[in-house]
Amino acid sequence: MRILLVEDDRETASHVISGLQQAGYEVHHCIDGREALTTAREQSFDLLIVDRMLPSLDGLGIVSQLRADGSSTPVLVLSALGTVDHRVEGLKAGGDDYLVKPFSLAELLARVEALLRRAVGSSAASRLRVGDLEMDRISRRVTRAGREIDLTAREFQLLEFLLQHPGQVITRTMLLESVWDLHFDPQTNLVDVHISRLRQAIDRDFSPPLLHTVRGAGYVLREHS
Amino acid sequence: MAGPLARMAVWRASASRLALVYLVILVIAVSVVRFTSYLVTQREITRQGDLLVQSELQALREQYRFGGVQRLVEILNRRVDDWGRLGAVYLFMDNAGNKLAGNLTGWPQEVSRDGAWLEFELVAREGNASVDHPVRASAIQLGRNWLLVGTDKSEQERIARQQRSAMAWSIALTALLAGLAGWWYSRRVAARIREVASACEDIMSGRLSQRLPAGDSQDEFDQLAAVVNRMLDRVDQQAAVMRTTFRSAAHDLRTPLQRARIRLESGAAQSVEPGQRDAMVQSVADIDRVQRTLATLLQIAHAESATVEQTQRTVLDVAALVHEMAELYQPVAAGRGIRLQAEALEPALMHGNRQLLAQLLANLLENALKFTPLSGLISVAVQTREGRVQLRVADTGPGIPAAQRDEALLPFRQLGGRDGAAAGEAGGSGLGLSLVAAVVHIHGGHLKLLDNQPGLAVLCEFPAA
Repeated sequence: MRILLVEDDRETASHVISGLQQAGYEVHHCIDGREALTTAREQSFDLLIVDRMLPSLDGLGIVSQLRADGSSTPVLVLSALGTVDHRVEGLKAGGDDYLVKPFSLAELLARVEALLRRAVGSSAASRLRVGDLEMDRISRRVTRAGREIDLTAREFQLLEFLLQHPGQVITRTMLLESVWDLHFDPQTNLVDVHISRLRQAIDRDFSPPLLHTVRGAGYVLREHS
Repeated sequence: MAGPLARMAVWRASASRLALVYLVILVIAVSVVRFTSYLVTQREITRQGDLLVQSELQALREQYRFGGVQRLVEILNRRVDDWGRLGAVYLFMDNAGNKLAGNLTGWPQEVSRDGAWLEFELVAREGNASVDHPVRASAIQLGRNWLLVGTDKSEQERIARQQRSAMAWSIALTALLAGLAGWWYSRRVAARIREVASACEDIMSGRLSQRLPAGDSQDEFDQLAAVVNRMLDRVDQQAAVMRTTFRSAAHDLRTPLQRARIRLESGAAQSVEPGQRDAMVQSVADIDRVQRTLATLLQIAHAESATVEQTQRTVLDVAALVHEMAELYQPVAAGRGIRLQAEALEPALMHGNRQLLAQLLANLLENALKFTPLSGLISVAVQTREGRVQLRVADTGPGIPAAQRDEALLPFRQLGGRDGAAAGEAGGSGLGLSLVAAVVHIHGGHLKLLDNQPGLAVLCEFPAA
């Protein structure tokens, strides 16, 4: 998987590059906006990570020009601008996800993975499954080992999102964004409380546990710990 | 919108009152002028008639002096033939009351002295009808005889009637024209005031690029609009400088925070010594806290200086949002032994930014959760009343004393009882209510802190969609 990183802060860039490389990605780095646009047009990448504020050409400028070219390569926008309106601007310009600085490497990696998998996999399947946990999205039924599990509407949505990203680390922020459509960090551990309720429902009476906590990152739904 | 409309009605009334006063003054003035000129004309016409009668009497007296009764009778008989048609009236009688000459059959009324004036009606036959002719006459004594000369005033009275009717018409027309002009003027003033007021409302609600409508008549309204517009340009400029400053500040603060965070994160990952690793993990948590405070500050600044055009707004149902947010916080509240109750039965539609309003609710709920004791109650209610969406978040905590409520909305205000206790906890930096105030502001709403007896009730009012 080839990733183009466009980031003018060298120190941040070098940490991001080593993090991505450790996760097994091939990274090409540009500092300048125009240079990045030329590179993105000449070579093929699976994902672009673009900082918003760049010398010579603004990050959103790169994205909108690529979109105008007809490119559908997923783009993750990094930004020091974090208000609600800035985020909307970023997504309107053609960004697929928006991450506000300072971010953790874990958050970045989780989002990169989600974007790459989304580009590959289909999310329209009517049946989702991890291990013996199954979800029928049409009849809205969830079963584990054949036993029906009762979930609230929100727990269903939460589980649905996790089932759509099996084996991927999903951060708390990603859950707030995708399940609740909230794009700010609440001060309380809201997501943890909802996850623990979901865990009660799907893991308490069954073995092995499927919903795991990844320290310092988030959660993952998978068969083996 | 009761405020501006009520103000407008007063203005409209004052403009029409002014017009009405002008109308009355004008009608009185025109009436006085017209009536005076009518009186003067009438008097002059009467005087002219009297002069004619007097000079005729004088001439006849001369003739009498020369020729006696005989000569006067001759002259009068001639004159009656000539002047009868012209409306002249003559009567010459002797002392015994016998008519000597003239076109009257008898003395119309008692005359006591020489030169007295008398007015009477003469009934004349014209065809089959008998017509009254008003006559004004004067009588003199010639020796022992009496002579009366008068004129028919029908023509004069006809002119007087015409004048009176012209007077009435011109006063009525004046009143009508003045009334129309006043009505047009007061409507125009009211319309201008309404334009200015609604433009001001728009600008206050965040459409900072909007300007007052300025015509090219250079009247007081245009001059006022021009001055206000210059002032708005200045404010707009300052807001633009503020926004640029915030952008740069965000960039210049977040880039080093990013570096520090990454360094600490990778340091913690590589560190083998547990004490060191803990310190680094703690520092990362601190950086996240700084980042959250910074984000909130920037969001407040952005919301306070942003214009409505710059903020994405859609029609949304606050009641649905209240249910979503209550559902989100329900497990946390339950975990702390607090009842969280949402009362939003009917949809409450308004123009708003979902993210900002969700953050407003999150801040109010987190604030309430911080201060509500075990087995306390937090209630979130929304309803639409008289064109306003009223959102109320109430808790049963210690509340805020009335004297400190205004202060509580300012950033970084640490209140003795309330914010002080929680300042250190969960990044509580005393910004929560300031952000709420900023979000309410950008939505053109009003915020009130009330006593929930016991506890705090925060009431946010927005214009309904």
